[in-house]
Amino acid sequence: MRKSLIIVFSLIAITALQAQNYYVYVAAESEDEVALVKFDGKKAETIKNIPVGIWPVENEGPHGITVGPEGKYWYLSLAHGNPYGTLYKYETGTDKVVGSVPLGLFPASMQVSAATGLLYCVNFNLHGDMVPSTVSVVDVESMTELTQITTGTMPHGSRLSANGLKQYSVAMMSGELFEIDAISLKITKTLDLDEASKMAPEDHSMMDHSKMDMGASKMAEEKKPMEAMDHSQMDHSKMDMGGMPAMKHSAFKPTWVSTHPTKNLIYVAGNGAAEVLEISTDTWKTTRKFITDKGPYNIDVSPDGKRMVVSYKTAAKTGVWDLESGKELARLDNSQKVTHGVAISSDSKFAFVSVEGIQDDPGMVDVIDLTTNRLIDTAYLGKQAGGIAFWKIER
Amino acid sequence: MKKLKKALYILALLFPVALFAQKEIVIEPANITMEVGQKKQINAYVMENGKKLKDPINLLSRARRSLTIDSTMMAHAIQPGTYDIVAVADGVRKTFQIKVNYPAIASIKIDDIPQKIYAGTSIALKYHVIDKSGATRDNVDVKFTSMYGNIAEVDDYGMVNTMIPGKATITVKAENITNTITVNVVSNPIVKVQLEAEMTAARTGDVFHFKAKALDKNGKIIADAPIFYSFNGVSDNTSQSASGLIKNDGRFVADEAGKYTITASCGVASASKTVKIAPREVSRKIEMVGQGSVNDKHTSDFWVWEGIDGRDYAVTGTWGADGTAYFWDVTDPGSMIKIDSVQVDARTVNDVKISEDGKICVISREGASDRKNGLVIIDVSNPRDVEIISRFDENMTGGVHNVFLSGDYLYALSGGQKYYIIDIKDPKNPRAVSKFELDTPGHSIHDVWVEDGIAYSSNWGDGIQLVDVGNGIAGGSPENPKQFASYAYPNKANHASFPFRSPSTGKFYVIGGDEIFPYGLNTQKGGVNMAAGYLHVVDFTDLENPQEVARFEVPYAGSHNYWIEGETLYVAFYNGGVRVVDLSGELMGDLRKQGREIAWILPNDANGYTPNAPFTWGAQLHKGHVFFSDFNSGLWSAKLEPEKPKNTPIQVK
Repeated sequence: MRKSLIIVFSLIAITALQAQNYYVYVAAESEDEVALVKFDGKKAETIKNIPVGIWPVENEGPHGITVGPEGKYWYLSLAHGNPYGTLYKYETGTDKVVGSVPLGLFPASMQVSAATGLLYCVNFNLHGDMVPSTVSVVDVESMTELTQITTGTMPHGSRLSANGLKQYSVAMMSGELFEIDAISLKITKTLDLDEASKMAPEDHSMMDHSKMDMGASKMAEEKKPMEAMDHSQMDHSKMDMGGMPAMKHSAFKPTWVSTHPTKNLIYVAGNGAAEVLEISTDTWKTTRKFITDKGPYNIDVSPDGKRMVVSYKTAAKTGVWDLESGKELARLDNSQKVTHGVAISSDSKFAFVSVEGIQDDPGMVDVIDLTTNRLIDTAYLGKQAGGIAFWKIER
Repeated sequence: MKKLKKALYILALLFPVALFAQKEIVIEPANITMEVGQKKQINAYVMENGKKLKDPINLLSRARRSLTIDSTMMAHAIQPGTYDIVAVADGVRKTFQIKVNYPAIASIKIDDIPQKIYAGTSIALKYHVIDKSGATRDNVDVKFTSMYGNIAEVDDYGMVNTMIPGKATITVKAENITNTITVNVVSNPIVKVQLEAEMTAARTGDVFHFKAKALDKNGKIIADAPIFYSFNGVSDNTSQSASGLIKNDGRFVADEAGKYTITASCGVASASKTVKIAPREVSRKIEMVGQGSVNDKHTSDFWVWEGIDGRDYAVTGTWGADGTAYFWDVTDPGSMIKIDSVQVDARTVNDVKISEDGKICVISREGASDRKNGLVIIDVSNPRDVEIISRFDENMTGGVHNVFLSGDYLYALSGGQKYYIIDIKDPKNPRAVSKFELDTPGHSIHDVWVEDGIAYSSNWGDGIQLVDVGNGIAGGSPENPKQFASYAYPNKANHASFPFRSPSTGKFYVIGGDEIFPYGLNTQKGGVNMAAGYLHVVDFTDLENPQEVARFEVPYAGSHNYWIEGETLYVAFYNGGVRVVDLSGELMGDLRKQGREIAWILPNDANGYTPNAPFTWGAQLHKGHVFFSDFNSGLWSAKLEPEKPKNTPIQVK
């Protein structure tokens, strides 16, 4: 009996110690490349660069990237086209293109629903006119755009609920949160996030003021070169509104929304307000407000539901939050300027953070250990590392 | 461990099956066929273990412009065909088809034919098959028959050949619908065809205008006689066939030197003329003069100008790099010296332009770190110490790919959809005064060039657009741009446009250039590439009826940016280097085959960003030197040897 137990424990120990490799796909927006980054627990490196796009001398800007729920395909949105952007479908591993379909203007973030098999992609429409844009719904089996659902102005971040039945997106300029029923494709709820931010309860007992950047609250008044576009400060009198009534220009500037894996909660990054709102999808009300560093941009919630990792684009930092206590456990400097996307490994152990850099800086992926809250290593890739998607763990 | 891996692998394979295995979507009726315009209610529900569930379900058409299904599952057939419908519910989906029948043919319309057709001549029937939905159909079998084949017979393509006077009925049939016309064949009075041309000898590329007359036995001209032109010939080169292009208005141009016989025929009467074609012989030597090397990054567009101090300068952009633009002293084209640079928040400075007075430079920005792209206005009064005056981003955030400076106005593309016209009278405070944008579905734009108050924009599938921005031809101004002419060509690759008013013919051409990369492009260091596409010469002399008349194509290379001065074209053909082309005289046919290429030059640089991989971006003539930029090696200058005196008249009247 004792011998058997020793064998069993030994096997468990061997298995635990066996090296695990983590793989993420990262889009290099100004390189027209996607990098496959491998992390072995200590060292992160780009093991493959996949050229993307069809108009080589034009920068087509790979922006959003996601791996399908079955792990067999990954999907990439190319922002620029003539004039519409394109969604590409690649096979994971071989990284061969298996299909494409044009979407709207500047297609950005997206996800495939395990419930419907459909892909939902926001059309960011960064090209000028402040008009409502859309969410494209794509049948990825045939790579056909089935419909476009009109939402708000400059929709950027989007994620599906864990069961794949609701799609959430935030419109950066109109400051709105949208819930779309993934089957009926109807908008079922909207929320004014500027108002939601004002009304949000702030649990100061949970805040760690020692780490706060007190300048963050001035964000809306400042014009920083590295922050997301502050349209609330722009002179829109010169703009062609396309006959539309004057539109709201959100000071909250939501850039991302992530969903909780087990609870009916979503998390919205207020890039202009330096805060993340936790919103109940049941009551459609803000339940908590997390004060962040400058320019919270992307969010990912760990699959175990314990951690929230937020990229602080303007501050070039990444925040690791404990969702139960609401405390920011760490605020880590990224390897260079312009922190962008976050993807957490399926075992909730590591966060992979893309960092754009400026001009001819290489793009980077910082790997953060979520058990020690330390930055472990950095992988290098093409210029302007942006969209990032976790693919798999391989023993 | 292997077993565990195998089990996981099998599990992964079964995952999608498992996901959808428990439920099934039922569609009623099982087979759905509809007619165009019809609405049909579909019933769909989810079954699980033989039990009907109340799960929400949605039916989505993969061809929503041909067949729609609304939220009540009412299908509406718009166009004939067979369409896939995706039914989705929570954890289950099903794809099924709906067939929409082609409507029956309703009518066959035949265009009018001449009231009388001379025996022995032919006409081609033009017809349109219309179905009951009103759509014109080209996917139905059409049969032609003639009632009196001895008078007129008709072939499978609707070509009617007439034999003897009389009336013949020609029937066109598609499905069960027929239409019959009567062909009135009259006796042919034409006994003779006369053929004239303004010359009997010329060079390759020179355009003849043959004029044919059909005469009766009294020498009277039969004005309505159908005349057909054709040619045959023998090349001076024994291994080459004589080739050229002939139009049915009598225009003819030869590609090869040799003897050509042009024939005009009308029934059995015909006339021929033989002309002698000499080689064009315009080729000249071109020699590389100097290089301003840029080998740590890609180079994009450039501009050469005379500075206010009388010296000559150039500005070059960079591509996929660090947002730098370089300024050069090119007064000595053999020793071009980098004298200053600016770096802006961009990865690509794709385009650079200089104002006519040589004081202002504008550069475009793409790939800004904050995605706030736009343009930058620079004071280049002293090119050795350039200073940024202002930047302009409003409405430009999608990226400015190309710009143009004309007078006090800047023309800047925005997000690949439109261009804004920006008043820079006060360059510190540029302000947009108007914009030009097409309203066609999915319209896009690549470039704009302004000359004599006309903006020539290149709009991919929408082709070349001519817009009055102050010329007066259509009452436009920079504040009120007015489009007045356009021409689109089928390959939808219009990337550049340049006007050319031919001094020797008075014709008004616009040369539209393609940009095509059929083999992709490796922009990494070491990437060697090939492009495709050619220049389309469009005759805009009749603004309401522009005609594509000629092309310049380099095999296995592709056109990019170009410049015309006098009657000479300087064009960068990417991997094909810079080509210098003779545009003198009327333009028709394949200009390169005609020997109009004067010279070509390839900038090989063993120390280039990618060594020995010429990829020329654009060309410009300045004070007798051909300047050009190269993607892999920077700025270059070359000199074309002087034109040889023409002592012998070549065209013989």
